[in-house]
Amino acid sequence: MDMLNALVSGFLQCFNLSTFNLMMVGIAIGFVVGILPGLGGPTAMALMLPFVFKMSAVEAFAFLLGMTAVTATTGDITSVLFGVPGEPTTASTIVDGHAMARNGEAGRALGAVLMSSLVGAVFAGVALGAAVPIIRPLVLSFGSPEFFMLAILGISFVAALSGEDILKGMVSGGIGLMLATIGLDPISGIQRYTFGQLFLWDGIGLVPITIGFYAIPETIELAVLGTSIAKQEVGELGGVMEGVKDTFRHWWLVIRCSALGTLTAIIPGMGAATTQWLAYAHAVQSSPNKERFGKGDVRGVLGPGAANNSTLGGSLITTIAFGVPASVVMAILLGAFIIQGIVPGPDMLLPPPKGKLDLTYSFVWVIILSNIITVAICFLFLKPLAKVTQVRGSIIIPIILVLIYLGAFAEKNAFEDMIIVLFFGGLGWVMEKMEWPRPPVLLGLVLGPLAENRLFLSTDNYGWAWTTRPGVIGIFVLTLFGIFYPMIKSRRQAQQKIREGTTDQVREEGPASPKLHFNLPTLFTVLVIVMLAIALWQSRNFGYRAGLFPWVIGIPTFILSFGQFARDFYGKKKKKTDGLAMSVETPVEIAPEVVRQRTVSIVLWTIGFFLVIWLLGFSYAVPLTIALYLKFSGESWFITASVTFFSWLFYWGLFEKMLNVPFPEGLLITLFGGGQ
Amino acid sequence: MLHFLCLLIVIAAPSLAHAGEASNVADFYRGKNVRVVVGFSAGGGFDTYARALARHMSRHIPGGPSVTVENMTGAGSLIAANHIFKVAKPDGLTIGHFIGGLFLGQVLGQPGIEFDARKFEFIGAPISDHVVCAMTKASGITSMDRWMASKTPIKMGGIAPGTSTPDNATRILKVALGLPIQLVTGYKGTADVRLAAESGEVAGGCWGWDSVSVTWRKALDSGEAIVVLQANRKTHPELANIPQAIKFAKSEEARRMIDVGIHGDSDIVRTYTLPPGTPKERVMALRRAFDATLKDPEFVADANKSHLNIGAIPVEDIEKDISGLFKLDPALVSKLKDVLYN
Repeated sequence: MDMLNALVSGFLQCFNLSTFNLMMVGIAIGFVVGILPGLGGPTAMALMLPFVFKMSAVEAFAFLLGMTAVTATTGDITSVLFGVPGEPTTASTIVDGHAMARNGEAGRALGAVLMSSLVGAVFAGVALGAAVPIIRPLVLSFGSPEFFMLAILGISFVAALSGEDILKGMVSGGIGLMLATIGLDPISGIQRYTFGQLFLWDGIGLVPITIGFYAIPETIELAVLGTSIAKQEVGELGGVMEGVKDTFRHWWLVIRCSALGTLTAIIPGMGAATTQWLAYAHAVQSSPNKERFGKGDVRGVLGPGAANNSTLGGSLITTIAFGVPASVVMAILLGAFIIQGIVPGPDMLLPPPKGKLDLTYSFVWVIILSNIITVAICFLFLKPLAKVTQVRGSIIIPIILVLIYLGAFAEKNAFEDMIIVLFFGGLGWVMEKMEWPRPPVLLGLVLGPLAENRLFLSTDNYGWAWTTRPGVIGIFVLTLFGIFYPMIKSRRQAQQKIREGTTDQVREEGPASPKLHFNLPTLFTVLVIVMLAIALWQSRNFGYRAGLFPWVIGIPTFILSFGQFARDFYGKKKKKTDGLAMSVETPVEIAPEVVRQRTVSIVLWTIGFFLVIWLLGFSYAVPLTIALYLKFSGESWFITASVTFFSWLFYWGLFEKMLNVPFPEGLLITLFGGGQ
Repeated sequence: MLHFLCLLIVIAAPSLAHAGEASNVADFYRGKNVRVVVGFSAGGGFDTYARALARHMSRHIPGGPSVTVENMTGAGSLIAANHIFKVAKPDGLTIGHFIGGLFLGQVLGQPGIEFDARKFEFIGAPISDHVVCAMTKASGITSMDRWMASKTPIKMGGIAPGTSTPDNATRILKVALGLPIQLVTGYKGTADVRLAAESGEVAGGCWGWDSVSVTWRKALDSGEAIVVLQANRKTHPELANIPQAIKFAKSEEARRMIDVGIHGDSDIVRTYTLPPGTPKERVMALRRAFDATLKDPEFVADANKSHLNIGAIPVEDIEKDISGLFKLDPALVSKLKDVLYN
């Protein structure tokens, strides 16, 4: 009864006039923050924290949670439309969402992602509310060993993310796990692969890698095709309502992915950056007819769309019940708790007067309400938003380039992150061309540190006895099931097909020609082998503690990559290797020399933009590059002037004036102008 | 003639400068922006405190410049420290806030340090980190007697080697007091250590009372968590009955280790720093502004609300602690190196 009272009281508190207004302000800010890449939930929250002092507790959290709750929703919009992740937590929606936009189905993708986001958020709210009585015993029954096993379970999803070429997928996952070891080893303090660079001590950030991996290849593709983002028009079928209907067509998938997001987020260290990929993998794994994944399958949008929103509820559970922040956003929220004089812990789960359950329930309502409001507002603007995909590429490209570099820089105010973007942009582009799947790299990158850390914490705390804990065995069985069940299932289906007389279309082609292939794909595989070899050679001095993980990951990956080499070299190739490599079919044929010339040109523009930022600083580089690009692509003076002006105004007003982002001065400005 | 002019300026300058100091400083700061470069990410302890200070400091700096906080994260705030030393202009418009444990790190030869702690200008530190060791009741370590009598090593949570708390403090206590301790390091932060303690994975940990007293309040009140030891030059008024670590130290070396590695480190851990060569009158103005802010009733109200304790460490003490680090007996330095990094 008390709980019901708290539930109702929490609901009513949200509708107090000032609370509701503040929630709306929060939603408005979160809306913009979500859409803008680089400007993430954590930054926005930290900037808003000072305003919380003057608010009551319910007001403060309506404001902050309203803001956070919508970032994952509107971040999806940028991912779908531009292929640039609006938030680090919405990168996975690019894979199929942006592919849909390329196919002219931007409206449908947006409709699907918004509707599934709403379902995810409501699910999270309900789960948070329902979990109240069991939160503490549930989380306390998990120790480091169980956290480790869950990370392994997550890593096993690499198989699902690999598309049909498991070998390339596993090598990619291995590369991701190896990339995760860059930085100071948290246990021994030994530097791994830092090359004496301080900015690598904390490892490489997810944001610059994701931006590089997806946004840069997309930009190149756009420039090469010379079209707008949408290459074709697909009338009503590609419309918003179709996407909404998709959500209900694949209702169970959306619910399963919501649950996945909420449950995994309870683990400290598993934020939406991870759960989105798990959800994507689950969507692929559990769906029949996987051929469309990576080329614009709506199911690949629904899964992560739901999960990156439902994660908030799960993270809140650990934050509220234990004061342990499950993610960066939660760490800042914890700061807000403290400002409000509220100590997260068991009290939050007891009905008043003993505890603050009504406040906890008001969180639940804020999450639900703010998402309903956001989605409703979004639907009003979806049609014009989707039109963005029909704007000429030559106008969109310089704007995307600005977003890429702003997004890379502004997350940590680190100049070096722009170099990381360029590096991973190049890598991502080559991987796309060579049909290597990119999602496993990101999954390895986010799960690697969790797995390594918790493995050592487990052995330090329990010796090897941890392997016999029931939770560990349970998750291990689940992992095996996840790996082998799809294999058994597909084998059974294959046998059935043979019995029915239909031939299997996925068959290994024998050595098609007697001659050996030393072409570009082979060269790339050789490059991978060389990099892995260097990494392993470097790791010889790491010692047992810091070295174990690089060895355990690096050696098998090294061996597997030889397998891939053999395959490339002898010309063995699966007939259908696209998998999730996200290559979009080109409807228009472009002459190879034009492709080459356009590729060189856009690559030079991308690198050139970076150089101008380096030499002149953002404030000159942004207008200069945009204007030059527009003019060189033959836009009229009027378009050039107005696009340049508005882009600059946006950059200057928001990033320089409002947010005070400390952009570094250009090298030439400091050398000759003296600067400030 | 030119020489004479120069001479005149040299002689006349100090007295003139003194007279016009206040107005010079005010003229300089008017309409400008002072940046506080925080070496940790937004929302953390360092950042929260810096933002609270920044909100109120403007009023106390002559000329009333705006004060903004920037986060320059990385390498446990070492990137920010190096930036303040090497890159930031010494014009009094950039204040650095990075972890003071790096000063000891310099003496012990921590890799990556590119500053010389003795050349920085210091503004002050708002609070000393009051190290306590807190244990769960379930661990059975409810007092120092029980701890010292334990036959098996007690598992304590840590974050990473070289962090002032919990790792450095725990390692020093283990060696200096001969306590049975097994430091399990690698947790993401003290909140994760606390969760591990609650789930029974570790017995507890040693870190700042300001954090323990707020985040573990409920368990402390109910007796589920117990503070068994404190280590600071002063006994905390809320911890009057909790023994001081240094009393259990048997040798002079052990006492020195605690004094340098825990007590001294705690006082300088939250210093606010200016780049070397910042004009003296601006250093003085910022120091006065810093002190005045800490006494400002509006700041105090904000701080109270966010459970930020105030207990300013005088600049003289900070400078003494830091210069003391460079006069340490080489034997103690190598001992500390051994204890903290191996």
